[in-house]
Amino acid sequence: MASDPLVKIIYEHEGVFIHPSSDDDDGLEQDLLVSGSLRILDKDGEIIVEYRPLEDTVDPSNMLCAGKDSSSVVEWAQCPGERSHQLLETQQSYETEWDMINAVSFRKRPCSNGEGSLNHSHEKSRWAFTFSVSDLRSITLKEEGWCFLVFKLKEPSASLPALHFHQGGSREFLDMIEIIFVYVYVCRASDDATCFLVSTPNKALSQSFENLLDDNNYSLVNKLKKDPYVTTLGGFSKVTNYLFDALRGTEEQQRRPPEEVADLLGEVIPGLEINQQEEPGFEVITRIDLGTRPQVTRREPLSAEDWTQHQDPEGRMINVSHLKQVIFKGGLCHAVRKEAWKFLLGYFPWDSTLEERKALQRTKTDEYFRMKLQWKSVSEEQERRNSRLRDYKSLIEKDVNRTDRTNRFYEGIDNPGLVLLHDILMTYCMFDFDLGYVQGMSDLLSPILYVMENEVDAFWCFVSYMDQMHQNFEEQMQGMKTQLVQLSTLLRLLDLAFWNYLESQDSGYLYFCFRWLLIRFKRELSFQDVLRLWEVMWTDLPCQNFHLLVCCAILDSEKQKIMEENYGFNEILKHINELSMKLDIEEILHKAEGICLQIKSCKDLPHSVSTILGFNTEASGSDLTDSESSPAHIVSHRQDACSNGHRHLTETSHNGCKVAFIS
Amino acid sequence: MTTKTSLLKVILLGDGGVGKSSIMNRYVTNKFDAHLFHTIGVEFLNKDLEVDGHQVTLQIWDTAGQERFRSLRTPFYRGSDCCLLTFSVDDNQSFLNLGNWKKEFIYYADVKEPEKFPFVVLGNKVDVTERQVSTEEAQQWCQENGDYPYYETSAKDATNVAVAFEEAVRRVLAMDERTDHLIPTDTVKLHRKPRSAATCCS
Ligand SMILES: Nc1nc2c(ncn2[C@@H]2O[C@H](COP(=O)(O)OP(=O)(O)O)[C@@H](O)[C@H]2O)c(=O)[nH]1
Ligand SMILES: [Mg+2]
Repeated sequence: MASDPLVKIIYEHEGVFIHPSSDDDDGLEQDLLVSGSLRILDKDGEIIVEYRPLEDTVDPSNMLCAGKDSSSVVEWAQCPGERSHQLLETQQSYETEWDMINAVSFRKRPCSNGEGSLNHSHEKSRWAFTFSVSDLRSITLKEEGWCFLVFKLKEPSASLPALHFHQGGSREFLDMIEIIFVYVYVCRASDDATCFLVSTPNKALSQSFENLLDDNNYSLVNKLKKDPYVTTLGGFSKVTNYLFDALRGTEEQQRRPPEEVADLLGEVIPGLEINQQEEPGFEVITRIDLGTRPQVTRREPLSAEDWTQHQDPEGRMINVSHLKQVIFKGGLCHAVRKEAWKFLLGYFPWDSTLEERKALQRTKTDEYFRMKLQWKSVSEEQERRNSRLRDYKSLIEKDVNRTDRTNRFYEGIDNPGLVLLHDILMTYCMFDFDLGYVQGMSDLLSPILYVMENEVDAFWCFVSYMDQMHQNFEEQMQGMKTQLVQLSTLLRLLDLAFWNYLESQDSGYLYFCFRWLLIRFKRELSFQDVLRLWEVMWTDLPCQNFHLLVCCAILDSEKQKIMEENYGFNEILKHINELSMKLDIEEILHKAEGICLQIKSCKDLPHSVSTILGFNTEASGSDLTDSESSPAHIVSHRQDACSNGHRHLTETSHNGCKVAFIS
Repeated sequence: MTTKTSLLKVILLGDGGVGKSSIMNRYVTNKFDAHLFHTIGVEFLNKDLEVDGHQVTLQIWDTAGQERFRSLRTPFYRGSDCCLLTFSVDDNQSFLNLGNWKKEFIYYADVKEPEKFPFVVLGNKVDVTERQVSTEEAQQWCQENGDYPYYETSAKDATNVAVAFEEAVRRVLAMDERTDHLIPTDTVKLHRKPRSAATCCS
């Protein structure tokens, strides 16, 4: 095998003629036509055009008898001569070109794969010629009733006879020429559409092949891609498997894996179809006009002073909904976080007194150390027989060393922050052994510990946060699946065109948002911005599942680039992954709140959307006391609540349940 | 004389913490980041290289190793041209798990002829002095499991990282020639670029 030169036939077209007479003025061979086949070969990577006459040159009369139909033959026969009427007769009986093959009975020789056939002087015929495409200067297409091609080589002395396509197929041939050659050599001379200039191979040109394959306007390629075996290229043309494989190969390499990946993800993340069934009127979304997105303003972070002003003398927090509103609008000054986060996360009840909280902390401290002692006191021998504990432990050790190591709280070796991170995660395993430790949890704990600067408080705040996030980490990752489906629903409402685009790129499952959702943007933002985003989200304002609107806000900023660059499955994933640390938190929060108000003020909101965002619960209505939101918006929200009233009644079981949408 | 770029998808598999992400980053950016985060989800990086005259774009996929994430990790095995089974020489358990990773890959990548699939085995962290897996043990495993090439690498000090990826490419190219010698696949696996890239052809 290695010694044989590899010759592949890329393309073959029979019934191509040379008119020797045009070169021969003595008229001796005036009526002689040479019929042959034109091939494009790949010989060890070199693209070669080969013309080989059939063994017997054809007498035109022979030809005409055979030419029962093909319009190109008719045209050719319009040259002067007594036989033209003969043709006009036969022209009436319409037959297919395939019949013609039988009638003419040109002998088809089995392809010899080129041994000895690539010489300029083919011993069987003086009319055979071959040339390498790299020697080609141009190809010119001319039409004189029929089509013929004139090849010009770079070597001027070597003139080649014109090739006449009396039996049609020149168009198809040129299409093939374009497809085959364009990726290496040829591009059309811009000023003359009938002339192809051959240039030195370069990268830019080679890329045009891919683009050609991508180009939906390129009908032939598309036909081929869809059904290479049905697409005919004219009666005598034969596109060999080589090219089919090239076309399909490109498909397979470029398209199939993402498609397969997407299909498999679809199996793992079911729900998009369920969604449509559950909401039969879902297509209504296409007609919903969301109206303009309101501009929102954000405020300064809540100061320590403001915080204490929201406390009564016993230490109960007062005017909590206003407090939350302020936190939602501007976040917290860092000094307030240590205290405020305990409330926001639900470790401290808002209406507890200072005394009550001290008592709570005492019992929680005992409880924590009791659980900590449990894993601390496991002997080596016990551990050897407890593979789950061993696995949790080894993974925690590995991950603690790979969590926020550039943060001063966790940097360096033997930083006490690392020990605390480790111990809290181990104790959490004891607190919830079924769940144990799952990757991502160290990311959720790290900012909390950083803010609390206290092992016990950090642990209980983490427990509260994990209550919200638990489903993300469970065996079936139901929380992740639910969120991806919900996000998809929201995105479809907000931007159907973009959603359709993602769908067309096998990315409708929004897998690329996985990391965002699993650990609430922890890896996407700077550490300080994560603190800000989380405290804003913990207010539960301005709607349920606000973090999904945060996703929508980020995607809204990226969709233009994604669609303009025509990103596919892989590129979208890469692009989104690489947004990490490049996002502006305030811009995102502005946009996300704007989107929320925009959706809220929309009449006839699909029920699924209202459910995700909690718009059909009374609670979300009463939270809406933001002085900055326009009165019109409040009114429209009320109308919305009214118009959905009947649904509200029938769907009460869904209300107040954050993940009620798809179970 | 033509410009051909093959796009090859390789995937790094192995226990969490063996150094998959570090190997990928070392190879693509030539840096070792001791502060690297553990991987969440699925990531990939591209790297252009030339091997024996073939222009290749390697698409290197890296995943999170924990069992819990399996169902959202395995779909990405599809379409891989090569799999780099990775363990850490200072972690015997990661070595013992190689077989499981291989099985998982073959099953989910839907490999048609597992005996012929190009695996390459990497024993990482050779810079560490306390080894738990000897070179001989590792070589023996590779020999018994399909005669896989074995490289002892260090993402930290760059030992053998590029060599291992180049060998992976060679394996894939050799595979292609064996399976479909009539079709030089390097001419057909064209690297897809955004459509706007080509302006020369009208
Ligand atoms: N000494 C040493 N440490 C390494 C090497 N490669 C990775 N590591 C460390 O091993 C830990 C796990 O590496 P990572 O790339 O995250 O592993 P992955 O989970 O397989 O992706 C990190 O702390 C790395 O710094 C290596 O070649 N030598
Ligand atoms: Mg990793």
